Amino acid sequence: MPEPVPSTRSRALRVGVCGPVGTGKSSIIAMVCRELSGVLELGVVTNDIYTDEDARYLRSAGVLASDRIRAVETGACPHTAIRDDITANLFAVEELEADFAPLDMVLVESGGDNLTATFSPALVDVQLFVLDVAGGGDVARKGGPGIERADLLVINKTDLAPYVGVDRDLMVADASAARDGGPVIALSRHDRASVDDLTAWLLGRLEAHRAGALVPRDPGPMAPHSHGHDDDHQHDREHGHEHHRH
Amino acid sequence: MSETLLMLLADARLPVAGHTQSGSLEPALRHGLAVEDIPAYLGARLDSVIRVEAGTAVVARHRSLNGGSLADVELAWAARTPSPALRSSSRHLGRGLLRLALRLWPDHPLLRRVQAMEPPARGVVLGAIAAAGGLSPTSLARLVAYDDLQTIAAAALKLEPLDPADASRWVFDLLPRVDRVAVSLAPLTHPDDIPAVGAPQTEVWAELHTRATRRLFRA
Repeated sequence: MPEPVPSTRSRALRVGVCGPVGTGKSSIIAMVCRELSGVLELGVVTNDIYTDEDARYLRSAGVLASDRIRAVETGACPHTAIRDDITANLFAVEELEADFAPLDMVLVESGGDNLTATFSPALVDVQLFVLDVAGGGDVARKGGPGIERADLLVINKTDLAPYVGVDRDLMVADASAARDGGPVIALSRHDRASVDDLTAWLLGRLEAHRAGALVPRDPGPMAPHSHGHDDDHQHDREHGHEHHRH
Repeated sequence: MSETLLMLLADARLPVAGHTQSGSLEPALRHGLAVEDIPAYLGARLDSVIRVEAGTAVVARHRSLNGGSLADVELAWAARTPSPALRSSSRHLGRGLLRLALRLWPDHPLLRRVQAMEPPARGVVLGAIAAAGGLSPTSLARLVAYDDLQTIAAAALKLEPLDPADASRWVFDLLPRVDRVAVSLAPLTHPDDIPAVGAPQTEVWAELHTRATRRLFRA
């Protein structure tokens, strides 16, 4: 089992963003930068298949100074780079943190992979998994480690639901059921309240990180999740996975 | 344990960012190297870059165990590696190796010594690892050569439509030469002994890659 990154309050909160190709990971990162760069010191690491596609998109979006956006080459192994060999990503994150100290938050965007790809807890403190309604209303029901156990599931592009024949509310309900009630945000950039929900969730994680109350949790590989049957399990869920020190 | 340690260090699954490297094969193919010439490219690496890298590692191992300046080893390597791109990727790999080594041998003085250098080349780090882990100089040189060849062979499978067994065959066919290179470099003890072999075409490719967009590999 990998040794988790110590939640040292002094360094930036490391936020992983993963999910299948085309679900809007880069757009969400651009949105977060737009919303939070006025109040937080941010950095971004991208892991696109071809080095700099996502980095260029983010730079051209103009939401963050271009040298705060770094691209990592994955040698066509985006899954490896965020999970079984995180060396290149760790260096990129640490270099950003050193160059712009003190950073509040570093967003690490995985290369678009499949439903099984999630971040190692040795690389990020929290991770959000991104789906979109255009990928099909049944995807949330299919489950998998990211859908079921990422710290946050985002169902993106909800404004498109009527055009692709997806019942948004049913998809969210399916996702919530797959996650045992874990947090789900139905996001659209045209839906102000949903954008506020996302930034509030991130700021909440940052606060927990600074308080030393955040312990990275691994959504895990494909192995089935063993559900605890004690009260602590439910307790964790209700408090958004925070670790309470007694 | 040195034999099994050698296996661990040569394993592509070792988390030291090996999957981000192509040994300059990506720019080589982009700038005209034919697929059927990849075995010749591997052989050329054995006669050039690999001899410099492996020689550096062997001398760094010797100095780690017997004293003497490692900075001079690093300087000798840098003087023999005129491409800034190749120096930069070697140092990047060195950092990854050192990070892992400090988890395998926490606080080992020979590794701490290398850590104080800013930033150590791959060969120097591997030399210190060999010293800390009890690898012989021949094994160390073999490791450097084998890793370079396998890095390129594995990258070829990502870059070109190939039968993976053919890529293994390329490396397999070069194993006797790997052994000869390792045996010839093993006795080196002084930075001046490190082979000085130019590889201008490799260097040009490495430099071109730093300015390429849409890269799969870092180097």
